[in-house]
Amino acid sequence: MLSIPYVTGYLTEHFGDDEFTQIGGYEKRGGYRAARKAMKEMTPAEVIDLVKSSGLQGRGGAGFLTGLKWSFMPVETDKPKYLVCNADESEPGSFKDRILLERGGHQLIEGLLIAAWATGSEKTFVYVRGEYGFPARQLQRCIDEAYARGYLGKNVMKTGFRHDIVVQRGAGAYICGEETGLLESLEGKKGQPRKKPPFPAQYGAFGMPSTVNNVETFCHVPHIVKNGAEWFRSIGTEKSPGNAIFGVSGHVVRPGLYEFPLGTRLDEIVFEHAGGVPDGRKVKGVIPGGMSMPILPAGQLDVPLANEFLRERKTMLGTGGIMVMDETTCMVRVACVITYFFRDESCGQCTQCREGTGWLNKIANRIERGAGHAEDLDILGDVAGKMEGRTICAFADAAAWPVQGLLRHFRGDFEEHVRQKKCPFTQSFEL
Amino acid sequence: MPRITVDGVELEVPAGRTILQALDDAGLLMNGVDIPHYCWHPKLSIDGSCRLCQVEVEGAPKLQIACNTPVQDGMVIRTASEQVRTAREGVMELLLVNHPLDCPICDQAGECKLQDYAFEYGVTQSRTREPRRALKKHVALGPTIVFDQERCILCRRCVRFCREIPQTGELAVIGRGDRSVIETFPGAPLENDYSMNVADICPVGALTTRDFRFKIRSWFLQDVPGVCTGCARGCNISLSVANNKVYRYLPRRNDAVNDTWICDAGRDSYREIGARDRLKHASVRGENGVLETVSTDFAIQEAARRLARIAAAKGAGVIAGIASPHATNEDLFTFRRLLEALGAETRGVAVVRGASDALLVVEEKAANAAGARAIGFGDAAAVLDRLRSGAVDALIALGHDIAHEQFLGGTQGLEKLDTVVVLDSHVSELQRVAHVLVPTRVAAEKHGTLTNCAGRVQRVRAAVEPAWEAHGEGEILARLGAALGLGGFDGRFDVREVGKALSASLPAFEGIDLETVGAAGRPLATAGASG
Repeated sequence: MLSIPYVTGYLTEHFGDDEFTQIGGYEKRGGYRAARKAMKEMTPAEVIDLVKSSGLQGRGGAGFLTGLKWSFMPVETDKPKYLVCNADESEPGSFKDRILLERGGHQLIEGLLIAAWATGSEKTFVYVRGEYGFPARQLQRCIDEAYARGYLGKNVMKTGFRHDIVVQRGAGAYICGEETGLLESLEGKKGQPRKKPPFPAQYGAFGMPSTVNNVETFCHVPHIVKNGAEWFRSIGTEKSPGNAIFGVSGHVVRPGLYEFPLGTRLDEIVFEHAGGVPDGRKVKGVIPGGMSMPILPAGQLDVPLANEFLRERKTMLGTGGIMVMDETTCMVRVACVITYFFRDESCGQCTQCREGTGWLNKIANRIERGAGHAEDLDILGDVAGKMEGRTICAFADAAAWPVQGLLRHFRGDFEEHVRQKKCPFTQSFEL
Repeated sequence: MPRITVDGVELEVPAGRTILQALDDAGLLMNGVDIPHYCWHPKLSIDGSCRLCQVEVEGAPKLQIACNTPVQDGMVIRTASEQVRTAREGVMELLLVNHPLDCPICDQAGECKLQDYAFEYGVTQSRTREPRRALKKHVALGPTIVFDQERCILCRRCVRFCREIPQTGELAVIGRGDRSVIETFPGAPLENDYSMNVADICPVGALTTRDFRFKIRSWFLQDVPGVCTGCARGCNISLSVANNKVYRYLPRRNDAVNDTWICDAGRDSYREIGARDRLKHASVRGENGVLETVSTDFAIQEAARRLARIAAAKGAGVIAGIASPHATNEDLFTFRRLLEALGAETRGVAVVRGASDALLVVEEKAANAAGARAIGFGDAAAVLDRLRSGAVDALIALGHDIAHEQFLGGTQGLEKLDTVVVLDSHVSELQRVAHVLVPTRVAAEKHGTLTNCAGRVQRVRAAVEPAWEAHGEGEILARLGAALGLGGFDGRFDVREVGKALSASLPAFEGIDLETVGAAGRPLATAGASG
């Protein structure tokens, strides 16, 4: 059974209510009024300006300003423009988009409609992670309802604006969550990120100008249109406004979803809301934003969850997937798991990523096995450094950063493996 | 036009090009400005995946890949900074993590970009303790190409080539990450008319041609620039020569002719040079009607004796000349001078036609058909008409294309002639009717120029010497002219002088001779040549 967030906010407040997933219930709670307002009372440029002034940042990991991204879409063009909703949610530790699809399908559709109006897009492709069968079906049902009620189709709300939404299921590759890898996969090709330039706003889905945003990003938009940019800016921090849904997993009493304003402290979420580590054990480290973000040690959890603060501690908010590890965790084993994942998921285009992910994994495995050498630690850091910032997409960064984070804060674990020539933690395994 | 600064040198480059393209256009890439690269190829789409061509662009927060970064006015690029060097070292080290380092048994050794760049930018000590990935060492991708999966650095040039040039798309990358391998689709081998180009563009020893592999180490080979003689396109090639033997043809870049490609048939045509059916000695038909081996000199004297006899008896009007479209411009110009000095007015050229394609191969299966026409040899049909009408008693034939089914279809009509003089490089059915037979050289064995289907005059060089006595048609004809006592013939044939004379006497060749034609060739001065 799906877990409704323990702490809800404007995004998820009705998610416990089954009626909210039906179009009637959604309308009763004010649904589709924001879309009507945007399309009947505002010009596309006004909507983009509103989103810009709200300061909404993309919730897919990179935190790019949403309004700015929309403004890159060409206004004068003969080509059809497309919107792409990234529902691939492939980042390990992240499971927020799933609930937004399952319980808030109409909220997403309304966000898509407003974004489509703002960018002049005639079609939206929602690319849903292959494993998300139920969420995809829930969303499709909502889309069908919206068509029946005239919110989608040839004449949206009798405004003459045309918009269609197509749900496309992925086949389960991490890299298809990268926006251009997603576009390739959407087009039926192998999911490999495209080199930039050209950027999706010039050459996106099927070669047409496209905007790609995360599910959660779109879900904020109706609320911004309804309540205004001032309201949105009043939530969260000055630089990172709005709520975010955090997915807490790992060694905590109450793993699950929590909607909080950005800037909520990490230790508050982990200890007060998620109940801390069970059985009186201590926290060892916390990954604040999905597996590709560098880990924070127990002593550094007093940080507000917003990029401007997390960057000071050399990590980022990412997708808001908080992974808690207690004192029994072997950080070399964590490195093995993480590097194995990235080795397996690298698309294999760029040299650094293709060869680097494999090499990192082999070294981590060797250290875990007890066959590590003192210089291996430096090689790990050096290889990660050679991968970072040098490739077509951010995958190599995502593979390098967690290794750098583990070395930065838990070098002792690695050294201990080398010294003892075995894993000092029990239950060790190798991937 | 944007102005850019590369390592302190200012350049004006066309807009809309990337850094590598602009440097390549300017002829500076790897020729003044060294930006090593694997996946980028001037004639293929940009891939941007090898990441070796990273350069420093002033104002950019990170290094930029030169292959995909568009030039902008005022751009300042540094290709040799410490940061760039470190990045290259990083890429080279990672490329070698899984490379088998089997250079001693690799055919590419000596002409391998992985070796070259590892030498220049690589680290000297391997830091890997892990086993390298073990893959198949011998995969027959198709009838022409053998693939070593371990050596592949996944630059994907071959994949893009098959999709973009022959547009057959046989190759693809299967798998992800460090499990990626190049593969063909089941039941669809790499089999197209240009398949062997993938071995040329493969920067490492992963793709090799079945024909050339393990024949010779590359450092024994000398490259002689030349022209493919398979058809009238005149694709530019390098002849790889060692021990007075041509081991292979490689395409040589000429953007006005063949880009960087050559068809498989053309590439295979190097075999013609050392073929078993080369004509290796001169012969004359004796009293008993049998061909007897003689010296070249004797054969020329015999030809002169016969031709002089006929000219004296019936006038030179009964002598006809058929030019070879395979001979050089200088050979054909000498032939024309000989016929004119003799007073023989019937002349033409027999050009065999065959299949063509949309890429390089053209219909005319001869390297110098356009040159022959430009020098004044019309269609052989006129000669054949006179032959059939009985107005011809003697024929001087260069080559044997006249016997092809598109012309005589054998030797019909030649049996009854008084004299048939044949100058030919290969054995043919003309032997049955020839009274004098003189072996000649092929394009790879002589100096001169050829005119391709678009009227571009291109240089060929003597890359090898035949192991028997054979001379170019021009030299044989010059000696024949002297033996006939014709004016302007002293028996000497200096190809450079003949080239100058050709240039001086035919307006189409104005300003074009062996010295001025250059590495890329020069178009005829006047439009007189068409495919």
